[in-house]
Amino acid sequence: MSDRNSDVGGIPIEEVVVEASEAVRKDKQTRTPDSTWVRTFDHFRREWQIYAMLLPTIIWFLVFLYKPMYGLQIAFKDYSIFRGAAGSPWIGFEHFETLFNNDQFIRAVKNTITISFYNLLFGFPAPIILALMFNEVLHATYKRTAQTIVYLPHFISSVIIAGIVITAFSPTVGVINTIMGWFGLDPIYFLTQPEWFRPIFVGTGIWQEAGFGSIVFLAAIAGVNPSLYESAVVDGANRWQMMWKITIPSILPTILIMLIIRIGNVMEVSFELVILLYQPATYETADVVNTWVYRQGLQSGQYDLAAAAGLFNAVVAFTLVMTANTLSRRFSRTSLW
Amino acid sequence: MRKLTIAATLLAGSAITTPAFADGHLRISEEPIELTIQMNHRAYPIYDEEWPVEQVARELTGIHLINDTVGANMRSDENTGRTEALNLMLASGSIPDIVGSSRIRDFVNQFGPEGAFVPLNDLIEEHAPNIAAYYATRPDIEAAVKASDGQMYYIPYLPDGKYGRGYWIRTDWLEALDLEVPQTVEEYENVLRAFKTQDPNGNGLADEVPFFARQWPELIRLVTLWDGRAHGSDTYHDFLIEDGKIDHGYIGEGYRDGIANLARWYEEGLIDAEVFTRGSSARDFLLSENLGGSTHDWFASTSGYNRLSSEIDGFAFEAFLPPASPSGRRIEEHRRILVKPDGWAIGFENEHVVETIKYFDFWFSEEGRRLANFGVEGQQYDMVDGEPIFKQEFLDQGPVNRSLYQVGAQLQGRGYFQDYAYEAQWSNEFALEGIALYDTMPDLLIPDFLGVAFTPEEQAIYDRTWGSIRDYMLERQQGWILGNGDVMEDWDAYIAQLDEMGMQELLVVMQTAYDRQYGG
Repeated sequence: MSDRNSDVGGIPIEEVVVEASEAVRKDKQTRTPDSTWVRTFDHFRREWQIYAMLLPTIIWFLVFLYKPMYGLQIAFKDYSIFRGAAGSPWIGFEHFETLFNNDQFIRAVKNTITISFYNLLFGFPAPIILALMFNEVLHATYKRTAQTIVYLPHFISSVIIAGIVITAFSPTVGVINTIMGWFGLDPIYFLTQPEWFRPIFVGTGIWQEAGFGSIVFLAAIAGVNPSLYESAVVDGANRWQMMWKITIPSILPTILIMLIIRIGNVMEVSFELVILLYQPATYETADVVNTWVYRQGLQSGQYDLAAAAGLFNAVVAFTLVMTANTLSRRFSRTSLW
Repeated sequence: MRKLTIAATLLAGSAITTPAFADGHLRISEEPIELTIQMNHRAYPIYDEEWPVEQVARELTGIHLINDTVGANMRSDENTGRTEALNLMLASGSIPDIVGSSRIRDFVNQFGPEGAFVPLNDLIEEHAPNIAAYYATRPDIEAAVKASDGQMYYIPYLPDGKYGRGYWIRTDWLEALDLEVPQTVEEYENVLRAFKTQDPNGNGLADEVPFFARQWPELIRLVTLWDGRAHGSDTYHDFLIEDGKIDHGYIGEGYRDGIANLARWYEEGLIDAEVFTRGSSARDFLLSENLGGSTHDWFASTSGYNRLSSEIDGFAFEAFLPPASPSGRRIEEHRRILVKPDGWAIGFENEHVVETIKYFDFWFSEEGRRLANFGVEGQQYDMVDGEPIFKQEFLDQGPVNRSLYQVGAQLQGRGYFQDYAYEAQWSNEFALEGIALYDTMPDLLIPDFLGVAFTPEEQAIYDRTWGSIRDYMLERQQGWILGNGDVMEDWDAYIAQLDEMGMQELLVVMQTAYDRQYGG
């Protein structure tokens, strides 16, 4: 590989160029079925290294995402682990009827959407703002230190995060209530008050993930053409104007892509953190679809019902991501596909 | 390779076996039989054939168990940790010859009738004289382990002894404040209030936590002080049985009054402000920090905290009788349940069913029961005047329960009949005094609900209603205690909501199943 001129995927560059121009020329001629096959075969023969690199991902998709889809049928069956997915009798939409006749499931769906909406409203802009702020920091050591500090919580397990939150919000020894005490406020038992659950949960999520999430946006900012800033300086723009007129418009496609992905995950509130933080006293605002599924479906072994709820989740998420993608493509010409 | 291992362990086994065992009368098969076993428990995640107890059992019976555990985990949470391994095992498509686990009853009673486990009624009658003799004396327990088709699918772990949890209080604090041990709920309230306001730990701060609990449902159990009921068995939030009628504590008026009083206590600071989130370390933290005043917890483990007297001057944490309710009744709702949903079962692919049931029966024989309870003679205990007595060096090794697990004794993934004598030998004086005190009141304990097995139709109704009902009851329960709503005002709406969620229908199902199972 030392000779830069010799290799693109193991094929001499000149040959690639020739092949490509030949392909263009052939495309214009009338195709025969035979030639399509030959060309496909040739293509694989020439590019097999690239496909070999793709293979692990394909296998991963097949084993962990496509094969399990076979099991989705248990959402429509009276599933017994012993009889297996194939041996259990079909019962149609009974599990879905059970779900939608259950007030607590409906409440869990509402809670999921509400928490996700808050996450989107407050949690999505946070890493963007953070990235823009880092971009304005000039002192290199200070910048690196600050970045490391905000990245750190991402690498801490949810169990420990929950422990920190429970301690921080404790009514007797918690730092929050201690500070409130200095101002003469009565202590609040935050984690048992339904109205406090969402702010604490969303805030914890921002604290944990905003730093790590900013990396993507920092990378996008780094990719902005420096000559734009140079000419802006010549035109007498200040840093604030450069941020609004150059940085943000330049990273807008990245923002939109991240937003679409985020919308696709609306039904996936990080449920392990909910489980660690909620109590029966806060189910009213805290119980999300996944925690409900965990309690009703997995703890009591109703895998079929849990599968039905999971399928419902997936359908909603799919619809949302399709909608967001279409809207984005129409209005900004940026889209995932 | 395997044969060599067997030979080696047999040799090792015979070296430690006393001559009295060597006559072979417990031998099940002349040719050694190998059986696979699944055994998962938080304290011993897989079966270990090197356990000294197992080596002796193998030598005596000729049955060689080989570990084949799927999904081993050490999680201790009530439901998932225990049944997850069983579900994984079943999902893997093959079932070992023997399956031993805690929380196995509902599992085998659901999948046994589907064909996954071998029905045991006839096998016990023909081949298991010791088990049959036990059931002949306890038909109620025989009824309790049966599935809805009338078959037994597992051999249970049968705990021994009466008392589990009791009420505990800092008696040195009582003395410091010149108070008597409370005998009624009213006196108890006054004592807790004095703990809160009169600074019994003497540090000048009102930081005492009068009542605390490691598991918050123990706080709910205090409704029994106002003639309510909380947990009908040693499973929290369980149904209860009273004169052959199934009921639930959380819909009773005594419960309502109890919750109203507990809400008042909570508001006044008589109950740990963090009772719902402090978790399992509450007892350890609050006692060693000299903050906790009273709790409701296990005799054996709680009495051990009196060792703190070496660090905290005068520290004494002693059991007292359940305070009498306003109507004058004293009850201790918690007890050692007569039969646990733990034990072992025979998988449908087992080719040595008769030998396996004989092997299960071995553990109910005199020698087998002693082995399961005390370990190996000469290693963990010696026979003194015909009684097994633990060796002092064994007792000194640390927590005795853990030491016993490590040699393969007291395994609750095994069906056996516990012998309380094993525990009495290492309970400290405070526990024994507490138990003796409770023994002076013969009517303190009430019958436990031993559970029911459902038909598939009943199971469907239970699955549809119970989860939601339980969630709703717990949500309201915590809310009322924390002051989000008033139980007296909300009560009628609460009952109406429960009925709408199918509470009455569920009670009928439970009653039908109960009558079928216990011949009511």
